[in-house]
Amino acid sequence: MQASSVEGVAQARPKRNILKLLLLPLVILAGMGLSMEAGLLGPLGEQVGHLWATLSIFGVGSALLFLLLFFSGARKGPALSELPRWQLIGGFLGPIYVVVLTLATPHIGIAMTMIAILSGQVGKSVLIDHFGWFGTARKRVNSERWIALALIVVALVLIARG
Amino acid sequence: MNLILLLVVVVAAGAVLSVQAAINGRLGQTVGVLRSSLVTFGIGALVTALLIFFFEPAHAVSLLDVPKWQLTGALFGVVYMIVMVGAVPVVGTAVATVAVITGQLAMGMLIDNFGWLGNPAIELSGSRIVAMVCLALALVFMYRSNTRSE
Repeated sequence: MQASSVEGVAQARPKRNILKLLLLPLVILAGMGLSMEAGLLGPLGEQVGHLWATLSIFGVGSALLFLLLFFSGARKGPALSELPRWQLIGGFLGPIYVVVLTLATPHIGIAMTMIAILSGQVGKSVLIDHFGWFGTARKRVNSERWIALALIVVALVLIARG
Repeated sequence: MNLILLLVVVVAAGAVLSVQAAINGRLGQTVGVLRSSLVTFGIGALVTALLIFFFEPAHAVSLLDVPKWQLTGALFGVVYMIVMVGAVPVVGTAVATVAVITGQLAMGMLIDNFGWLGNPAIELSGSRIVAMVCLALALVFMYRSNTRSE
């Protein structure tokens, strides 16, 4: 269910070493895995239903993570029950994304679905900053961000035209 | 479904996803990535199960009938997560983001073009390539805007 995020595009301060070069192909492979996941979901959803396909992702994912946690030993940090409730609502948003993936990939293909998803991420951050939605401070959006938004609209128009 | 409507829904899902990523990022910092992901996946499974009980029509084929390789999607998601946890501190967020998106789009194009995994084959056209170039440029501009505002 995970997906790349453009949020953190610039908070980087990379270390320079050989490990970096070795890890890079692995990260690219991990990204390819995201498209594999989407590629498996579309046809599965057509056969067994979109919600069942979504359940397969969250069910198998939960089981794997539980086992990983169980065998990886003690964790530091607060118990989940001590956290503010709102921090747990991410789980309600995940299924929306996965259901939409299974719906969209058979019609517009995986590459274009991914572009549209990334467009939503970029667009969201530009518009939230500009209008100050969700109680965030209203910031002036610089021209580079408007150009980015315009480019994304062009990409989406191209996808829509097929 | 109408293509434009579908596209609007997918873009909205991208926006929802980044809200989810922001919430989960906060959670991951305090309790660790594995635990925050387990919460996301666990609640996701429960919500989906509830929706299935009340809204999903019956299907002739069930999850147990399809070939087992079709059920491996979640593995890729979990592997992705583990790789990112290990790699981001070393390569940096920006490089990792570009690498992931590169892999994502390259693999997406391959699956589309050849119709792998039972997907309809969609040939790589000029407009699809231009769409990808536009996205790449948009990310470059986002990056420049982010570095300048820091």
